[in-house]
Amino acid sequence: MTTPMQTALAAPTIPTHPLAGQAMSGAEIVVQVLADEHGGVVFGYSGGAILPVYDAVFRYNAEHRDAAGHEPLPLVVPANEQGAGFMAAGYARASGKVGVALVTSGPGATNLVTPIRDAMADSVPFVAICGQVPTSALGSDAFQEAPVANIMGACAKHVFLVSDPQKLEATLRTAFEIARSGRPGPVVVDIPKDVQNTTLKFDGNSHLPIPGYRARLNAVAAAKLGDEACASLFTALAQAKRPLIYAGGGVVSAAAAPALTTFAETFGIPVVTSLMGLGDYDTTRPLALHMLGMHGTAYANYAVEDCDFLIALGARFDDRVAGVPDQFAAHARFIAQIDIDPAEIGKVKTVDWHHIGPLVAALEKLTAWGRSHAFHSDLSAWHAHLAQLKHDYAMNYNRDSPLIQPEAVIEAINRQTQGRAIVATGVGQHQMWAAQYFDFRAPRHWLTSGSMGTMGFGLPSAIGAQFARPDALVIDVDGDGSIRMNVGELETVTTYELPLKILLLNNGVDGMVRQWQKLFFKGRFSATDKSLRKKDFVAAAKADGFEWAQRLERKADIETTIAAFLAHRGPTFLEVMIDPDAGVYPMVSPGASYAQMITGPFIPSRSAPITPELAPTHMF
Amino acid sequence: MKHTLSILLQNESGALVRVAGLFAARHVNIDALTVAATHDPAVSQLTLVLHGDEGTLQQILRQVRKLVDVLDASSLSVVGSGMRSHLVATPA
Ligand SMILES: Cc1ncc(C[n+]2csc(CCOP(=O)(O)OP(=O)(O)O)c2C)c(N)n1
Repeated sequence: MTTPMQTALAAPTIPTHPLAGQAMSGAEIVVQVLADEHGGVVFGYSGGAILPVYDAVFRYNAEHRDAAGHEPLPLVVPANEQGAGFMAAGYARASGKVGVALVTSGPGATNLVTPIRDAMADSVPFVAICGQVPTSALGSDAFQEAPVANIMGACAKHVFLVSDPQKLEATLRTAFEIARSGRPGPVVVDIPKDVQNTTLKFDGNSHLPIPGYRARLNAVAAAKLGDEACASLFTALAQAKRPLIYAGGGVVSAAAAPALTTFAETFGIPVVTSLMGLGDYDTTRPLALHMLGMHGTAYANYAVEDCDFLIALGARFDDRVAGVPDQFAAHARFIAQIDIDPAEIGKVKTVDWHHIGPLVAALEKLTAWGRSHAFHSDLSAWHAHLAQLKHDYAMNYNRDSPLIQPEAVIEAINRQTQGRAIVATGVGQHQMWAAQYFDFRAPRHWLTSGSMGTMGFGLPSAIGAQFARPDALVIDVDGDGSIRMNVGELETVTTYELPLKILLLNNGVDGMVRQWQKLFFKGRFSATDKSLRKKDFVAAAKADGFEWAQRLERKADIETTIAAFLAHRGPTFLEVMIDPDAGVYPMVSPGASYAQMITGPFIPSRSAPITPELAPTHMF
Repeated sequence: MKHTLSILLQNESGALVRVAGLFAARHVNIDALTVAATHDPAVSQLTLVLHGDEGTLQQILRQVRKLVDVLDASSLSVVGSGMRSHLVATPA
């Protein structure tokens, strides 16, 4: 045991790196820092401007292979750099570790723009290393030159162009530090080829100063929730009859799910989560109300309507949640917010109480304060009200249709996986059905492009997740439009013999867009019908090496086919021909309040159903 | 309302572009901008003038403070009048 006194006296001595002082090329330094800071799978595609680093990885792996032949820094090669980017992001989302992508200059780097922006928008820790033309050629419109610092600077948490070789090592270490600290995000390091080839002295521990960033970070990290702040929050909670927790992706990033569970259950406060927050709180527990927002459960959204106290935890009142900020939780007399990012406090919705700091410490402090003051408030009426909402407005769909309903397929999978599978998705209706009908018992089991909404995310991110969690059951729930975007990565699955399960919900249309065309564009289905497309997905999967690739067309076969799909040991591909007209409900139309939510034909509604005006909406 | 912001910036490659780009991306127009050297050659001082309500100002300041190379960012307000007026930093 060390007392605070001892820790204060013992100055933090950083052990010298065993290789400190050695001469290494810039490329070898890149690889050594990857080994030190990352030590895992690297996703990337080679090319002229990054060749020295690829060569150094090859040599490093050859020298450091373990007895079983495993390489310390396996290189996973996608079909397209966008695939590598989403694999790195999937790896990071499933593990909490920094994902790493390694690409060449010009087109290699620009193919990474979408995954980098996607990681920024969903706060995913990511380091992308790009080759660049030699410093002497920078700005000369050289072959495969792209202004990566400019392009990525607008998309990433930070970007470094390493023009001074002496700063290479410190820059790389600092890139990892920035990616994983505070609100996580992607950092791009652009390394000219001559820098990779320069002979340098390895230090083993150097970092860039970044004094402004570190000072702000330390201030936030040290921010403690005081007794007075606890007292004022609990005073408001004592007055509340209908308190609600709104938990977001920040709970996942902060590894605060256990602290949230204890807090919620100690005081009996029910929990709704955002799309990014699925897994923050076990959806099978009595206090769980599943997801809120545009396609949230009716009972979660009604709970938001009815609550008189709301505490947002690592959640940012995004427009898919609070489309009309004034009308969001309009009856809440007290709104509280805890976040690591000062810029999120009050950005969308004015709050009555806030704390900027690490979530785990804040929640533990609140729980401890409440316990030590024997805080108790009788919420039985509220709990009964919510139980009634859950019963009366339960999720439902067209169970009697002869056509296969997507919700039924997901329910069938969920019955087997019980909320313990890692689920990745594309973007569209299938993404929302997956969010609604799967259970999530723990964080990092739900990988979805929440803020950017990038079609093509599902397959590569599932691949990345399977590399991060080789023994886990990983399922990609995809749409026919979305999977086409990165369909080249089917071959990556079989090349690396990943036991991934791919579920393609094929409705022959760009379903989500079609749903909006139906609602807001008088059913003019401009460019969303895909029924004349020729692709035979099952044949395509077989051609890419899937031994188990099947099509499910009969409702009666759902259970047996799903069982076989999940039971097969290797990679499996299942295309399910679903009702092309199935819609995602509930739906809070853009510009509407939760009270005006359309619950659709199969879920009752609390208010008279409001048909959206068939007028073009300027909301998105 | 007119606001004057003062930003201390590390002289890293692309740092000025990142600040300017942040304003553009958040749809805040920069009316005037000066960049000056400081006694520390590694640090520049940016002074920006922009229009917007108080909420816009606060949000843009908070976003600026998220940029890695920003050392400090504050809003300046005009104190006094005529010849004796000067700018003072207000904690924002
Ligand atoms: C890269 C990209 N392009 C366009 C869109 C707009 N968009 C959102 S959902 C969607 C349709 C998705 O179709 P599909 O993957 O088949 O899923 P479905 O909605 O039918 O389940 C489109 C085109 C997007 N989100 N991402």
